[in-house]
Amino acid sequence: MKNFITIIKSDYLQRTRSYAFLITLCISLAVAYSFIPAPGASYSTIRIGDYLGFYNSSWIGYVTALMTSIFLSLVGFYLVNGTIKNDINSKVGQIIATTRVSNFGYLLSKTISNFLVLCTIAIIIFIMSIILFFLYNEGFSFEILQFITPYSIIVIPSLFFISVLAVLFEVFFIQKSILQNVLFFFLFSIMALSGSTDDTSKNFYLDAFGTKIITSQMEETVRSTVGQEDLGGLNIGFVLGNVSEANHFLFDGVDFPIGYILSRIGWIIFGILLLGLASLFFHRFKVKERFQLKSKKTLLQTKIDNDIDISILPKVALSFKILPLIKTEFILLVRSGYKWLWILNIAGMLGLCFAPLSIAHQMILPILWFLQVSRWSSLVTKERIFSTHFFTFASYQPLKRLLLSQVLSGILLALLLALPLLLRYMIQLDFMHITSIILGGIFIVSLAVLTGILTKGKKLFEILFFMITYANINAIPFTDYFGGLHHQYSYLGGIAILVVILLTISYSIRNIELKRI
Amino acid sequence: MKLDIQNVSKKYNSNKYGLKEYTLNIENGILGLLGPNGAGKSTLLKMIATISKPSNGSILLNKNNVVKDPNYMRKQLGYLPQDFGVYPNLNAYEFLEYMAALKGIGGSQLKQRIAFLLEGLNLTEVAKKPIGNYSGGMKQRIGIAQALLNHPKILLFDEPTVGLDPEERVRFRNLISELANDCIVILSSHIVSDIDTIADQVAIMKEGRLLCQGNQKAIINNVKNKVYEITMNKEDTPNFIKQHIVLNTIRKKDTVTVRYISDTSIASAIPCEATLEDAYLYTTKK
Repeated sequence: MKNFITIIKSDYLQRTRSYAFLITLCISLAVAYSFIPAPGASYSTIRIGDYLGFYNSSWIGYVTALMTSIFLSLVGFYLVNGTIKNDINSKVGQIIATTRVSNFGYLLSKTISNFLVLCTIAIIIFIMSIILFFLYNEGFSFEILQFITPYSIIVIPSLFFISVLAVLFEVFFIQKSILQNVLFFFLFSIMALSGSTDDTSKNFYLDAFGTKIITSQMEETVRSTVGQEDLGGLNIGFVLGNVSEANHFLFDGVDFPIGYILSRIGWIIFGILLLGLASLFFHRFKVKERFQLKSKKTLLQTKIDNDIDISILPKVALSFKILPLIKTEFILLVRSGYKWLWILNIAGMLGLCFAPLSIAHQMILPILWFLQVSRWSSLVTKERIFSTHFFTFASYQPLKRLLLSQVLSGILLALLLALPLLLRYMIQLDFMHITSIILGGIFIVSLAVLTGILTKGKKLFEILFFMITYANINAIPFTDYFGGLHHQYSYLGGIAILVVILLTISYSIRNIELKRI
Repeated sequence: MKLDIQNVSKKYNSNKYGLKEYTLNIENGILGLLGPNGAGKSTLLKMIATISKPSNGSILLNKNNVVKDPNYMRKQLGYLPQDFGVYPNLNAYEFLEYMAALKGIGGSQLKQRIAFLLEGLNLTEVAKKPIGNYSGGMKQRIGIAQALLNHPKILLFDEPTVGLDPEERVRFRNLISELANDCIVILSSHIVSDIDTIADQVAIMKEGRLLCQGNQKAIINNVKNKVYEITMNKEDTPNFIKQHIVLNTIRKKDTVTVRYISDTSIASAIPCEATLEDAYLYTTKK
């Protein structure tokens, strides 16, 4: 047992003692702050028809718990996913494989470590929710239980189940991170939508995120307050609109039935059972063997068998062109990831050719670009991932030449993928949309560059890009970086300014980084 | 070519130095850096290669301060780091073309130079295959090839023979000897045999400090007439080891032959000819 706890503790410390995690916590704070809109803000996060709750303990406690359950289930997977892969890459896995730790014990320790990482973020959000209560105090009394109850019953089981899923995906889709990301995206969408229109207790029990019982109770409270059956629907997310005209109602929390509480415990037990099942299939770090058996790749071997005569080496000239750098950076982008992903890319490009323009622009383009998440996230981080930074940082003018070529190759990929749509708009002489797509491509690459330089890792960009894409598909205007919903030049001007800011910060930080090495 | 390292320190925190007040002058030829792990060899090479900055001191190449103007060094540098990586999705040609672009070289003869280097390092056959499929030794050779791409005037090799088999080590040493005719080569290793046959100058380092520097003969002279071999019973060995600077022990069935350093001779001890390895072990152990 002591060893088991030591494994969890070491894993947890290893993952949280990083600059990237600190940034994640800062972003979580910012996101938590946005869960409860400031009085007078022009958006809402949960709205039942024209009704919003008064900012009492119950409303703030339950809304933040509900948003945390959804938000952390969504991005938490991407945040904690990759822990087994890290053990494979660091070769620690090979040492673990020779110890007495069982497959189940190892997978459970990884799950608990995932869970603790997510809980750390949830605690930050929990504290922020209490701060928000006092910040926006509308004269209601502070009831700590209205905060603790929803976090305990809703958030904790959700986070545990997501932690299990992250481990399961790693066990069954070994080192196929893109496939894991894409599959989870669909799984999450299915889980979020399942039974959304049917408020029966059976559906509450089957709701992994545990949020439906809260929204149902909120709707019920409004119904009983206004005596109206048709309330006009429930909106969850960052909904822009005139909030000041909304009516307010008093929400007193949820009396969770005992059966429901047991169902939440059931989700945890179900997760542990799934881990037990997965432990039967766990590779126990014989990954290389499996890969080599499956692929026809063989390790090549030659040796130096003659002396090298350097006197015959042709002389080379100085050349500071960046075109060869752009070419290789582009090749690296194209070749990274799985070949089958290009089938999806081609399918997406065909979709951009033939789908109705609005669908092509608003739906297909963001998804197609999201499929490149792994490529763009490694744009400026691959040097450290592959340990080539000794070469690149010692190169001639790495900032002006290498960084520029990386940005340009990333943009080139974005525009190449969007080419069919750009051509369609060109035929229509619709220069606003052409500009918006080009700016969108530059924006997303700039974001990848900045987050990569800031964190020296891929994760932050992957999570942000996932959130942005999810919001784009749900037509949330705030995240429209490619002009799918906004058709004004002033909006494009805003994006252009943002791009300049992102690239300027990236350039400056990389410059400092190179000076401080 | 002249490289002056003047009073260079690399400080990690208030107590920990990677390198402390290091001064060294090098002209054309081969300098072998010897030292145990953690001696600061890689730290020194990284600073010369401009990928790490000294906390104090200056590094001058032909009187140009490369700490302030790293591009002066980068234009004429060939560097083989200790733990370098490659992009597994590129083949050898593509990777070397990329490295050439990074170094700011090109021209009509670049492809031919890459082809010659690959031929010389016996990588032509596999040059069109992704580097991800190469063995460790072959990746090391790709590293050597990239260091030679730009006709460097200063070459830094950090533990270059890792992954090479004994025959390849010999070939590599021959290559370095040839290269050193018109440039500065600095070669770091903790394996004395990598250095003793080729280095014009040897610098021995320990815990971030330069312990001694000079030509091999001068360094070996430090232990001249001090190296002995003695054969004794196994039971006596631990006590003897405690009292002497022992360089090597060879175990036989009932006896142990100990090679050691001492200012005074023992009756049964046989004087031996000192080697660079003896001098190195003596300098770092005393």
